[in-house]
Amino acid sequence: MSTGWWPALPLLAVAGAYLAAGLRLHRRGDCWPLRRWAAAAAGVATLGIALLPPLATHAHHLFVVHVVAHLLLAMVAPLLLALGAPVTLALRALPTPGRRHLLAVLHSAPACVVTWPPAVLVLELGGMAAFYLTDLFALAHAHPALMALVDLHMVLAGFLLATLLVGPDPLPRRPGTVGALLTLLVAAAGHDVLAKLMYARLLPAEAGSAADIRLGAQVMYYGGSAVEVALAVALMAAWYARGGRELRRERRRTVSAPAPARAPVSGGHPAPG
Amino acid sequence: MTTTAAGPATGRSVLAGVLIGVGVAAFIDETVFHQLLHWHHFYDGSTLEAGLVSDGFFHAGGWLAIVVGLFLFADLQRRHATVPKRVWGGGFLGWGAFQVYDGLFQHKVLGLHQIRYEVDLLPYDLAWNISGALGIVVGAVLLAGRARPVASR
Repeated sequence: MSTGWWPALPLLAVAGAYLAAGLRLHRRGDCWPLRRWAAAAAGVATLGIALLPPLATHAHHLFVVHVVAHLLLAMVAPLLLALGAPVTLALRALPTPGRRHLLAVLHSAPACVVTWPPAVLVLELGGMAAFYLTDLFALAHAHPALMALVDLHMVLAGFLLATLLVGPDPLPRRPGTVGALLTLLVAAAGHDVLAKLMYARLLPAEAGSAADIRLGAQVMYYGGSAVEVALAVALMAAWYARGGRELRRERRRTVSAPAPARAPVSGGHPAPG
Repeated sequence: MTTTAAGPATGRSVLAGVLIGVGVAAFIDETVFHQLLHWHHFYDGSTLEAGLVSDGFFHAGGWLAIVVGLFLFADLQRRHATVPKRVWGGGFLGWGAFQVYDGLFQHKVLGLHQIRYEVDLLPYDLAWNISGALGIVVGAVLLAGRARPVASR
């Protein structure tokens, strides 16, 4: 994470683009749901808390603060941003040529690869393992440009994972509920293993004293689990809502359909079922 | 809206029960033994690498199981398709199996951590694993017996 105010610039650019696209829809008379506005705003605000002073400044000196900032940056903010459905908003707000370009990108082979659940897991867990278990941690703290790339990778990998699990944005191929749950299980177990490895091997070695690293690793373990519980609840709540819609359709059918079919049968036999 | 005891809802009741049972075992392990009593250790230095991986899936699988299990149960309830005896049977089975897996495989084979430190472990290990085995037996008995769905009462 950086030490200055410069991350405010890309954040303002992202917020400005979302605002412009949403207002364009509203001017046209289309509705962009309030919950998506709120999720996107909270997502950008969370990125700001993680990337800007005072948290980012203290994160350089105290590992546990770094871990809190990391959880906000790589898990909480991507979940909120995914719920803000930025790709859906872009598809609706862009003029036709731009929309065609974006659709071409979404259907391209690279997009199919990076949204494939095992690839998302490799990006998510591999990025975290490379940063916390190798010298990349020290290297990135010495080179701000490298740190910015690491931060970008964490946000994007987290966004892919959250979109795969609970995001409304379109994907080339979306896993079913069982596939999404298995993806979440592997991601969560991987996070737990990485956090325990940090605790057991006192990594990253440059992060501070043994006590600092152990505290940070435990915050990583339990903080990560808390966000993953939220992901699981969002995933299952969506499944429950889909089931409810199906159930209502079924009931409407059983209320309206059988009446004419049963009318001719009046031989005293009770209707089956 | 009637579902026979042999229909798919029975399997769903068992599944919801097993998941809630597994989740309860993991929840008790985490809150009572790790956080409140501080008997279990986060990491005790003797853990094998395989132990860390198993523990990761244990911890992640535990809370995931309870979330999924409760949503499945809510779905059964709104469909009036719950088979309570099967939910209880699955619950005991899931709880007991998880307890024994944790007590025998994770604590002993993988050396993840022990139940408690600086005490004679034998009574703790016996209580832990026998209670789990009892859970499995109770669950198996409940699953073997006849059961009716709520909707047919």
